[in-house]
Amino acid sequence: MSGRSVAIVGGATTKFGLRPATWSELAQEVGAALFRAMPELRAEDVDSLFLGAAEPERFAFQSHVAPLAAEQMGLRPTRILQRTELACASGQAAIRSAYAAIAAGLSDVAVAVGVEKMNLPSMAEANSAMGCVMDRAWDGPHGATAPPFFAMVAQRHMLEYGTTEEQMAAVSEKNHRFANTNPNAQFFDKTFPRDKLLRLPLIAPPLRLGDCSSMTDGAAAVVLVAGERVARYTDRPAWVRGTGQYSDFHNLANAGSLTDWVGLRHASRQALSQAKISVRDLDLAEVHDCFTISEIIEYEALGLCAPGEGGAFAADGRGEVGGDLVVNPRGGLLGCGHPLGATGISQALEVFQQFAGAVPSTRQAPDAEWALVHNLSGSANVHSVMVYQGGGAV
Amino acid sequence: MSGPATRRRAAATLAPASPTREPSAAAPPPDKRPTPSKPAERRPFLLDFFPLETARDTRLSRFFDRLREGRLSTTRCPKEGTLLWPPRTACPSCHTEELEWVDLPDRGRIYAFSAVLAGAPLGMEAEVPFAVGLVDLDGVPLRLFGRIEGAPWTALHVGQSVRVEPFPVEEGRVFYRFRVAP
Repeated sequence: MSGRSVAIVGGATTKFGLRPATWSELAQEVGAALFRAMPELRAEDVDSLFLGAAEPERFAFQSHVAPLAAEQMGLRPTRILQRTELACASGQAAIRSAYAAIAAGLSDVAVAVGVEKMNLPSMAEANSAMGCVMDRAWDGPHGATAPPFFAMVAQRHMLEYGTTEEQMAAVSEKNHRFANTNPNAQFFDKTFPRDKLLRLPLIAPPLRLGDCSSMTDGAAAVVLVAGERVARYTDRPAWVRGTGQYSDFHNLANAGSLTDWVGLRHASRQALSQAKISVRDLDLAEVHDCFTISEIIEYEALGLCAPGEGGAFAADGRGEVGGDLVVNPRGGLLGCGHPLGATGISQALEVFQQFAGAVPSTRQAPDAEWALVHNLSGSANVHSVMVYQGGGAV
Repeated sequence: MSGPATRRRAAATLAPASPTREPSAAAPPPDKRPTPSKPAERRPFLLDFFPLETARDTRLSRFFDRLREGRLSTTRCPKEGTLLWPPRTACPSCHTEELEWVDLPDRGRIYAFSAVLAGAPLGMEAEVPFAVGLVDLDGVPLRLFGRIEGAPWTALHVGQSVRVEPFPVEEGRVFYRFRVAP
């Protein structure tokens, strides 16, 4: 890692779910929550704002959203103000951009915020918005959205490795159980035992309702600062130690193997090698469980287990507190919901809170020092990874 | 099982589609079809996944002209011989804009499939449930995504033989899908 050191020093989130609130109101709400959570943060110290927003044009009929978010949050950025769009990874893209700006000396204090309003009066319109994440002219007319694509991924993984519906349900049960410890999660107050999950309706076979993350409204924000400013805000920062990204196709015809996520192997290797650690050093990981099969393949591509063993990794509880590492303690996309632009920010906030020991013990990774955050976007064609270290020196 | 006529055609598919090389994708023929319906009559452009197909709208109108004749085709880089899907106007490798059109096989086998049982985009709700899949085209290194008709999703299986089928879309447009082979 070159450039100045950078750390997350705080953050806040709105409640995720089916919210009786507009896009702008969600931005106001997260701004208010941020200043409540960080009384030492002064608006005039924030020189830059990076907004992760995937589809405000489709979901909220609103463009030029970065200055709108700034106004709603009560910020007047004087250096860099911009939106980052990378579909499901838009939030992490905002954090990576803020990190890069601070490391390069172009910013000292930056807010990375994600806002998404996905629930519309017409679900069909919302589904059309999800469809145009794909190659709209060539895949869209066939009815391509995320569920049928990830269903084909699941079908191939089951065919090639014998992965089962029960193993996929183990992922969903774990993440929903973690979400029961997170009042801001969409499914905080709903339980999903495995036998119930296996009886939920099929959405895109073999994927059932409980295998799929939701259409969710929500916003989250974190504050990143240059190393020398960290002590003004916290003594428990989350240091950015590595970042990696890989993109290898867009049209579904060019996907190559559905079950070997080469992009994640490359992106995580980049990020881990910058941090000078191995995947075995991780205490927790926030990975992109947009579908249960995604988390299973992510175990494999991250190198936590061999190809084909992701299902067993889930069923054997190796991602639980007390397992190899804690995976998705926040509740994952499955339990928290997936407001596209806010998800990556919310995951980073969980890492910050884990390092600070500020989460319930039922989801706390013991002695958490190293964490990885992963987002895929679209049809798993892009993978974005960040590695954080808690406490310690600059 | 594919019939003899189909086999003959599939075998010839990778020859250039006409003896002399056709104009490049960048230079489509003039469009002689009637102008599209008045805006008020069509569904909003931003809620319609089917692409605009005429030479007024796209440099790939030849793809749709051929599809209307029953031929699935794509572009190929003449320098490298690489088949490019979806059809393109420039090679992503050598960046030449002088691509040639070639017909593709009209048969393939299902590599993976699923079905949309809920959550269809606007305009497709009435088609639920519908099956989609990735299909390995016979004899070429292309795996195309598409709708699969002709059998309920519960009757499909990986490895199943399907054929390419053009179908009409509103406003005189055309698109392709797969149909389970008899």
